[in-house]
Amino acid sequence: MSIALTCQGLARSFGGVQAVKGVSLSLPAGQVTALVGPNGAGKTTVFNLITGNLRADAGQASLHGKPIMGLKPWQVARAGVARSFQDLRLFQHMTVRDNVLAATEPSGWFWQPGGAASRAARLARAEAAMEAAGIAGVADARAVDLAYAERKFLSMARILAAEANVWLLDEPASGLDLSSRTRFQDLLKAARAQGVAICLIEHNLDVVMALADRIAFLDRGEVLAEGEPQAIMRDPKLAAIYFGDRK
Amino acid sequence: MIAYLSNIATLAAIFGLLAATLNFMVGQAGIFSVAHAVFMGLGAYSGAQVALLLVPDPFLACLAAAVVAGGLSLCLALPALRVRGEYFVAASLGLQMMAVTLFTEAKGLTGGMGGLVGIPQPRIFGVVVPVLPLALVALVVFLLLMAAMQRGSFGRTLGAIRDAESAAEALGKNVAVAKALAVAFSAAGAGVAGALFALHLSFVNVESFTLEQSVLIMAMLIVGGTGTLLGPILGAVLLLSLPAALSFITFIPPTDIGSVQQIIYGGAMALLMIFRPAGLLGDQKRGRSEA
Ligand SMILES: Nc1ncnc2c1ncn2[C@@H]1O[C@H](COP(=O)(O)OP(=O)(O)OP(=O)(O)O)[C@@H](O)[C@H]1O
Ligand SMILES: [Mg+2]
Repeated sequence: MSIALTCQGLARSFGGVQAVKGVSLSLPAGQVTALVGPNGAGKTTVFNLITGNLRADAGQASLHGKPIMGLKPWQVARAGVARSFQDLRLFQHMTVRDNVLAATEPSGWFWQPGGAASRAARLARAEAAMEAAGIAGVADARAVDLAYAERKFLSMARILAAEANVWLLDEPASGLDLSSRTRFQDLLKAARAQGVAICLIEHNLDVVMALADRIAFLDRGEVLAEGEPQAIMRDPKLAAIYFGDRK
Repeated sequence: MIAYLSNIATLAAIFGLLAATLNFMVGQAGIFSVAHAVFMGLGAYSGAQVALLLVPDPFLACLAAAVVAGGLSLCLALPALRVRGEYFVAASLGLQMMAVTLFTEAKGLTGGMGGLVGIPQPRIFGVVVPVLPLALVALVVFLLLMAAMQRGSFGRTLGAIRDAESAAEALGKNVAVAKALAVAFSAAGAGVAGALFALHLSFVNVESFTLEQSVLIMAMLIVGGTGTLLGPILGAVLLLSLPAALSFITFIPPTDIGSVQQIIYGGAMALLMIFRPAGLLGDQKRGRSEA
């Protein structure tokens, strides 16, 4: 079991508020690590620090042993880290297909390298990602016109198409009905089987228990516990914090 | 009458090119600029100097204009694009103000307030050619280039940046490079339009490159519809032919044409924003606010 991504001592404050205080995490390849914790615990901020969307006050992060702190978000992405956003951030006025194709085209220049063969390969990758995410039927619809669950799956299709080996997913299953949730879980299980290191922010404990190989419990910017799902869930202290009746 | 119509048609092609290239920045990439006339001016001065000092070859003039306007836009855009959305509008406004002063003061290059006069007529292999066909060719070439980019990966990159910049970055796109390329391409097009403008009038001065001109180009774009290929051209034709059309209405005293025109502009813009907020040819779904 190799570690795909690690971070040590990540810290960040906003004004006077310490949102993240010395968070250390390891994401093993081929495992789902659930990042759980109450609202405002700092989960999204940890993602933003890893991807370079926010600058860390302190701490290190490395991907397959190479340091990634201080890189720009697009550089972290090219190094193989794909992320989703809590508020999705779809390309609203583009079609579903173009949203997914964009994920296969990292270059910001006038054209992509590789010529026609590579273009055909990218299109095939996008079609496969839409198929896997179950949105091939709405490929020509614009993102803004999609239903709620379709939007969530479009966000996942972009990640699939990016072919990254680390996925940082920010509440990707929130608000999904039971059957969509099952479909979502199957998607993640398939990626895990292919060796993707997945970090999943998720409030729904059913989803967490169905998917997580490990859980990191974050509260007020600190990792209070990390380990096997059963052990974490049995801890009455964590449950009290999670369900909001802390002393 | 023929000369009169051909003058209007030439200006329509030139301003169509200006509005269409501004549209590439605004509609395609979501970068709002009120400094398009600056790049038109840079192109006009460069094209005019090529014709005055070297040869009145329109291709050389347009090439020089594209290189100067596109190149300088990169120097200006790279720092300015680091700021977000609404701040870029302010930065471009500052650029527009500064450029007018520079154009006025750099007398050696621009002729100052007096401008550059006696620009020779364009000649291809020694034969004088009117600017109208040249402007139409330039317009078509830029439209084809923009259509190709719009369909390809660069169009998707710009659309992604426009709709969700951070998500585009999260897919590995170097947003700064893509934006700078869009700005440089757009400025190069404005430069070509400027060079053709100079050759057409055989005279240019700073008054053609002020904030009013930038606002007029933006108005053409808004009237025609951002994000469409042909909307900006329709906008250019409409806004350019309105004063001409009014001058044919005999019962309006010539001294009042200016104010009648203002009233029509104002009224038309208000009606347009109410009934077709995305412009005449625009995607109406995009114009309305989304909850
Ligand atoms: N860009 C920012 N500027 C200022 N404060 C911020 C910023 N981002 C996060 N915060 C603050 O940091 C704290 C942690 O926020 P974060 O979004 O990381 O929490 P979270 O665990 O993702 O919560 P949720 O479950 O609600 O998504 C909060 O108090 C939040 O208000
Ligand atoms: Mg969050």
